[in-house]
Amino acid sequence: MSDDGVPPVALLIEDEVGIRRFLRAALEGQGFTCVEAPTGNEGIAQAATRAPEIILLDLGLPDMDGLEVMRRIREWSTVPIIVLTARGKEREKVDALDRGADDYVTKPFSVLELLARVRAARRYRAESGATAEVIETGGLRIDMARRRVSVQGNAVQLTPIEYRLLATLARHAGRVLTHEFLLREVWGPTSTEQRHYLRVYMAQLRQKLEADPSRPTVLMTEPGVGYRMAEADEA
Amino acid sequence: MPLTKARTYAGSILVVAGVTALALLLRQSLESSDLTMLYLLGVVVVAISFGRGPAITAAVLGVLAFDFLFVPPHFTFRVSDVRYFVTFAVMLSVAVITGTLTARLREQREHARLMADQARRTQSQIEVERTRSAVLSSVSHDLRTPLTAITGAATALRDDAALSAATRRELAETIADEAQRLNQLIGNLLDVTRLESGALRVHKEWHSVEEVVGAALTRLGPALGDRKVQVSLENLPLIPMDDILFEQVVRNLVDNAIRHSGNDEPILVRGRLEEGELRLEVSDAGRGLSKEERSRVFDKFYRGGGASQHGGAGLGLAICRGIVEAHGGTIEAANREGGGAVFTVRLPVQGNPPTIESEAEPMMREARP
Repeated sequence: MSDDGVPPVALLIEDEVGIRRFLRAALEGQGFTCVEAPTGNEGIAQAATRAPEIILLDLGLPDMDGLEVMRRIREWSTVPIIVLTARGKEREKVDALDRGADDYVTKPFSVLELLARVRAARRYRAESGATAEVIETGGLRIDMARRRVSVQGNAVQLTPIEYRLLATLARHAGRVLTHEFLLREVWGPTSTEQRHYLRVYMAQLRQKLEADPSRPTVLMTEPGVGYRMAEADEA
Repeated sequence: MPLTKARTYAGSILVVAGVTALALLLRQSLESSDLTMLYLLGVVVVAISFGRGPAITAAVLGVLAFDFLFVPPHFTFRVSDVRYFVTFAVMLSVAVITGTLTARLREQREHARLMADQARRTQSQIEVERTRSAVLSSVSHDLRTPLTAITGAATALRDDAALSAATRRELAETIADEAQRLNQLIGNLLDVTRLESGALRVHKEWHSVEEVVGAALTRLGPALGDRKVQVSLENLPLIPMDDILFEQVVRNLVDNAIRHSGNDEPILVRGRLEEGELRLEVSDAGRGLSKEERSRVFDKFYRGGGASQHGGAGLGLAICRGIVEAHGGTIEAANREGGGAVFTVRLPVQGNPPTIESEAEPMMREARP
């Protein structure tokens, strides 16, 4: 429930009735009121009139490209959008994220996974980018104000770049960040092609922060897309 | 090799010219009837080699040459003796008959070849058809088994109000597990199709093997349970590979190891750089591979002994091989000393990994305790 006691609205833009049915069941269980739109055009119209707090957008719609639906909604709205996409479409995921999607889930997905993405997206918007002072997940503690990092209570020394990378991931904990986004945030706008920088520094961070770097629990890889810091409840 | 028409006629002219040269050489020692035999021989050779048309040409040219050079009056085309007409008629008849026979023989040979081709094609069509229907029946069985479980569990949940909470949970888990299996099978079928149609594009970048292995183990998550996986990667440098595809190779190999070894037996993932190539081994402590399995594990739809009860459709390792080969590498299966199977992937490493300048700034003061 939102502050004023009116249930928040979730907009489901998806043409498959079976998928809409289980999305509605899952979201209504979390206190949402669901509005359903089986086409892109209807979805855009509903997004304008129903003021949803979250949009779930299928990228394979019958009447128009899902990315185009997102572009149109993004012209006037910052509502969190999570796209539903298929396996093997990493390029599409990256495009969606780069054009303003908050996150994605790959079909078929579990309700648990979807709800975690919805929570992370809404929380990030609620904080509107302002970050909690201390972020804790899976034994890792990041004190953003003092720029201190510790694992299981032991202080860890990071280089400036390692810290910037970690802090960027932490500010968006729970959300997937693309390679391009991380490179731009950490190394600046001229470095967006240097993906190997990212791989080397992620490896260093895992060495310092993960108990077993080859089985990470906090610094997760999304092959072909980017990285994601696991949230406290999943790490 | 079939000769062009012009060449066969040129050939027949050459033969007649050759016979005429020979006849001119031997004219002193031979009778003119012997010389006609030479021309006849030429006509037969042309008929056998080039067929009827060139043979008739050779006969006519031969008659003209013989008449001009050797029949009195010499160096004219006039004929004074009627017996030469018989010679000419015989030469023409021989040309036509031999040429026709040769042509017929040739046709028969061609026909036989076509028949053999046709038979071969039919045979291979039958084989393709047989493989296809075997694949279809195997695939539809693999698809129907999880669907049967899902349908049964879902209808029980819908129709039977008397189920206990524990049973409901069990049925729901069945649905989730079987749907997952179905998803994996469909993914594998799509991958095999992509590999076979050549639609697979390998997009190599410099990647951390540890990261790719980590992503594979993360995605295996539930299937892995609390199985011990020992990873040893000896400070590997970045390696050029397609991370999405290679993650799948590692995942399929570890998944295969899970299926074919006991729950308390560890799985080992080992990587090292040797002789300019990455060698990545995934080994288990299961029952290992029989000789037949060793040679066939990478075949599509091949299921080793007891694999069907492990729920595999026989595609995972075929996909591994396809991806590794698309990277220019190799994959092989062997038995470990002391039991269990080991799968070794070798990937060539070309070029030097990109270097990264170390940070100029000092370590962060604030980060110190």
